[in-house]
Amino acid sequence: MSILHDFEYYNPRNIEEVLQLRAEYRDKTRILAGGTDLVVQMKDNIIAPDVVIDIKGIEAFHEITFDENILFIGACITFSELIESEIIQRYFPLIKEMSLTVASMGIRNRATMIGNICSAVPSADSAPILLVYDADVIVRSASKDRIVPITEWFAGPKKTTLKSDEIVTGIALHFPERKHAGCYERLGRYSGEDLAQAGICILAFDDDQYHVACCAVGPIPKRLYHIEEFLNGKVIDQNVIQEAKQIMLNNIFPISDVRASKEYREHMMGIMLERGLMKAVSRLHGGENA
Amino acid sequence: MHKIKITLNNEKRLVDIEPHEILLDVLREKLGVKSPKCGCDRGDCGSCSVLLNGKSVRSCLILAVEVDGQEIVTVEGISKDGLSKVQESMIDNNAFQCGFCAPGVIISATELLNNNPHPTREEIKEALSGNLCRCTGYLPILEAVENATKEGNNE
Amino acid sequence: MSDLKFVGKPIVRIDGKEKVSGATHFTDDLEYGSNLLYTALVESTEAHALIKHIDISEAQRFPGVIAVFTGKDFPYKFGLYMKDRYIFAMDRVRFVGEQIAAVVSRDKRIAERAAKLVKVEYEALPALLDQMEALKKDATLIHLDLGDYIHVPWFFPQAKTNIAHWRKTRRGDIKKGFAEADYILEDTYSVPRYSHCPIETHAAVGLCDLSGRLTVWASSQSPHTQRNLFAEALAPLGFTHKDIRVIAPPIGGGFGGKAGVSMEILAAAMATKLRGNPVQVIWSREREFYNTSQRLGVIAKLKIGAKKDGTFTAIDHRLYWDAGASAEYGANVVNAIGLSATGPYRFPIIFIDSVCLYTNLPPCGAYRGFGYSEFMFGLESHIDRIAAYLKLDPVAIRKKNAIKEGDILAYGVPMNPSGLHKAIEAVEKEIEWGKKVKSDDPHKAIGKGFSLIWKAPAMPPNASSAAFVKFSEDGSLNILVSGMDMGQGFLTVMAQIAAEILTVPVSKIRTENPDTDRNPYEWQTVASHVTWSCGNAVKNAAINARDQIFEVIERACVLPKEQLYLEDEKVKCKTKPDFELPLKDFVINGIQAKDGTFRGGPILGKGIFMPEFTSAYSDPETSQGGHPNVHYTVGAAAIILEVDKDTGKMHVKKAVEAIDAGKAINPDLVKGQITGGLLQGLSTVLYEDIRYDDKGKLLNPNFTDYKIPTAKDIPDEIVPIIIEVPQPDGPFGARGVGEHTMIPAAPMIANALQDALEIRVKTMPITQEKVALTYLKNKEK
Repeated sequence: MSILHDFEYYNPRNIEEVLQLRAEYRDKTRILAGGTDLVVQMKDNIIAPDVVIDIKGIEAFHEITFDENILFIGACITFSELIESEIIQRYFPLIKEMSLTVASMGIRNRATMIGNICSAVPSADSAPILLVYDADVIVRSASKDRIVPITEWFAGPKKTTLKSDEIVTGIALHFPERKHAGCYERLGRYSGEDLAQAGICILAFDDDQYHVACCAVGPIPKRLYHIEEFLNGKVIDQNVIQEAKQIMLNNIFPISDVRASKEYREHMMGIMLERGLMKAVSRLHGGENA
Repeated sequence: MHKIKITLNNEKRLVDIEPHEILLDVLREKLGVKSPKCGCDRGDCGSCSVLLNGKSVRSCLILAVEVDGQEIVTVEGISKDGLSKVQESMIDNNAFQCGFCAPGVIISATELLNNNPHPTREEIKEALSGNLCRCTGYLPILEAVENATKEGNNE
Repeated sequence: MSDLKFVGKPIVRIDGKEKVSGATHFTDDLEYGSNLLYTALVESTEAHALIKHIDISEAQRFPGVIAVFTGKDFPYKFGLYMKDRYIFAMDRVRFVGEQIAAVVSRDKRIAERAAKLVKVEYEALPALLDQMEALKKDATLIHLDLGDYIHVPWFFPQAKTNIAHWRKTRRGDIKKGFAEADYILEDTYSVPRYSHCPIETHAAVGLCDLSGRLTVWASSQSPHTQRNLFAEALAPLGFTHKDIRVIAPPIGGGFGGKAGVSMEILAAAMATKLRGNPVQVIWSREREFYNTSQRLGVIAKLKIGAKKDGTFTAIDHRLYWDAGASAEYGANVVNAIGLSATGPYRFPIIFIDSVCLYTNLPPCGAYRGFGYSEFMFGLESHIDRIAAYLKLDPVAIRKKNAIKEGDILAYGVPMNPSGLHKAIEAVEKEIEWGKKVKSDDPHKAIGKGFSLIWKAPAMPPNASSAAFVKFSEDGSLNILVSGMDMGQGFLTVMAQIAAEILTVPVSKIRTENPDTDRNPYEWQTVASHVTWSCGNAVKNAAINARDQIFEVIERACVLPKEQLYLEDEKVKCKTKPDFELPLKDFVINGIQAKDGTFRGGPILGKGIFMPEFTSAYSDPETSQGGHPNVHYTVGAAAIILEVDKDTGKMHVKKAVEAIDAGKAINPDLVKGQITGGLLQGLSTVLYEDIRYDDKGKLLNPNFTDYKIPTAKDIPDEIVPIIIEVPQPDGPFGARGVGEHTMIPAAPMIANALQDALEIRVKTMPITQEKVALTYLKNKEK
């Protein structure tokens, strides 16, 4: 299958050049990092940008740093690089756990976490993790820099609040100072590569506080604040779990599609909440770092 | 038109391309390397896998213009100076049937064994899980990768 | 036969090295030169509509477009068993995705862009998306002139209906059969359509040179049948068989989907109008899903009567098949099942209706298992349920009723020698049937499921095979055959058979995929019949070569040919132990006499095989009186299935499959078929879930949403067991096993689920979602 439209390809070496191109061509540009979404969409003629800006030549976008309890993931960091990163393994093992659920090795070697949230499909695996860590999306344009809390990032299916002259340079996550552990539970049709049909990420803190976020059960990935409010201060037991499941049903809005029915997604979100809470709490107390 | 320079199977190659051209097509149609196959054209099947700077990637999801100055290895490159241990093991184990997925599987297995010479069964499954095979049921392929690493132990 | 040297040995496949080195060049890997033409298709957006007008003018004017073709350019019908399709849609479209026009250019992108400029005006007709709707008396007709279609004599299309074929098999008084039963179970099972998913999509290149010679390269299971169908369809253009050549490069999986003719005819037909230019047609993965044959869906209404002790008294099996927009191949699946829907069981009284219905969905045709997987899902589920009602063990009831050699088949012919009972016992033992397994995980339950295996090749009564074996100067051999190695190992097996007769090691034998000009006839590589049929031809060719060798030795060396034998690539003589003559010394250049003259010359063996005992003639109302099938291959299988009660997620911990190969020419390749076939079968029941919208559009034509298993989705353990009860007319006793290996998968899962969770799922697929929700509903009851 060919890409039927013609476009210009730019491979800038510094951010300023990227920003200039974005400022000049705006909606007509697309940023190319891993390309695992972009190239498919161009082949399918879903998008047809006049200008494709390959940002892999920008060194700063290939950084993972951890400084003063802040993790920075550059725009070109692939899922494989996250999996292999010692920083990630040590401080954010949940990101590794999630990254391993993304597609397969050949895709993870190329696909980026920033690309995942910029594509902004409802099933984006990266989103729930970034949500529970209250990540910040770092955005730049030629005229100004801004930081977008991940909770304000997703605007709808395949839509973000990124403006057409902006680019994402990276994501920042704060390492929580309190003892914590989490897990990412996701529903696929089998063990092999599959898009998430429902996903839930739980981060539990040792003062019985909880962060819970989901993907693929509504138009955008989001935090489940009502569940958090209910759970906070409580020790997890079967009664708490059963009540939390009920609360969740009022706060997720899955659809029926070719991948799964609404009914199954709802059922599984309950099961995954239950199992996820048990796992997160057991990791918290078992000393596991996840 | 862009003129790109790549190292393909240890040989410098120059090729003229348009930005819209896909690496898989350029490899097959302009550079004469036929082992990467088009099985799905959207990254699902792994048949088009090549090693890009040592990492397995889907050549159907890469613009040729992106790989200017980089190094690509295909199964032709791996086989040029005699077959690798894992390829030999695949022959011995009748690991493939139709063989259409074989180049992609060999690319993934090669990357795995380069990074992890003694993988577990689970690690092999993980590494090969992006390569769809409709014929074999995978078991003979997994066994072949395992056997290749065992022979390594005997050396 | 314990002294066999090559047959029965797990020899490494002869095409292994080329496959792992990237040397195997499939159809699209070959170079067709710089004047290759690319094509882009215009496809129907409607499931059923009249074509009022096609406007190709804008596409024709698009710079770089060489030609635009529509149905008008090729008003020729074609089809394997019934001529019910056109090269491009003519006055109407019958499914979403049907080809209406093609744009040809030297540039792929220009062809694709221009194709988008073709405008088609439709007048919508009611679309039939369900076979039961199509069966209704007042249903819209999909083929108005069905009564005029040319078809094989064993099809019974019903004019002015949507019934493309109706196979009836009857034995005894069905009312009496059920009257004799103590228990009768009646229920309906449904199996949807499936897609073959070879990783290599369909590909064909046609070249009609300026002398009028048409060559087609195609990813094909049927090069000779394709040549024949091309010649028939293109006869109005003056083409005869000698003008047409089909070259079949190695193929990247077939599974029945590349049998007969589908898209290949586009390359052939367009090439005839673009002489001197190779014309390439390649299916995208998407098109591979909706415009090649799919597996037929079926709704099976099944009624079985049994006595208290489990003895079956009667079966009433009515199968309604969704064949899609064309039944030229699919109706033969329906036919095969109409003759065999008893399964491998003795039923004294039989009533089978197997009805082939046109619908406005993509055409269906051959798919590994040829209808048997589909009806065995219901039948083997039913048998477990009857056993449960009668409080009998599911394996015991199978043993009680399982067919034996000499039992009379549904159509009145005795059953061939069979290792069915041995297979059942072997599987029963290996799976530790009767021993309950409990999971340590409170969320999980474990169940066991059992199923038998049963299938005959479905072939015309005169399907034949032919082979040549020819020597080279060093005594090495080329075998020329026209069967296809689709991965099953055909080429290797043919080499082993010739090696056994001629004592030439397999390493000195080359066998390649065919070219209809050079290689002798083969009907098709389908029906799991080539090991048996072409194997016989190769064996006969090798024997013929051996006879020629002995004859020349007799003449040149004055030794009686009855006393000659071959050993280690030498001719030896029983009565003259010191005589030995290496083959390489004479198989090309002959044997020199004392006067300097030569005797003999190139040894060139010829062999054919046709099953001369089969006949498709029978009473259309009962199917009695003919001999439609050559033999059945049988077996048994079982699994241990672990199920998560909450998520429905299933995991096969162990699978055992025993198959009666008659003689496994290459046991390792037979095991390969078992492993691969079982997973393909498990995939149809657990993962593959085809979806159409209410307008007949396929919703998941890709691997993103039509899931086939990965390396992570396989059973923990597969134990292949080979049973060998020889087939008397098979080469060294062999019969085919390729398709059979996937047949037991679906009912085993259904039966194991019943065992694990006490739920009975009667519709395929049995996805984790369906299991979880069914279990949930059951729990709530």
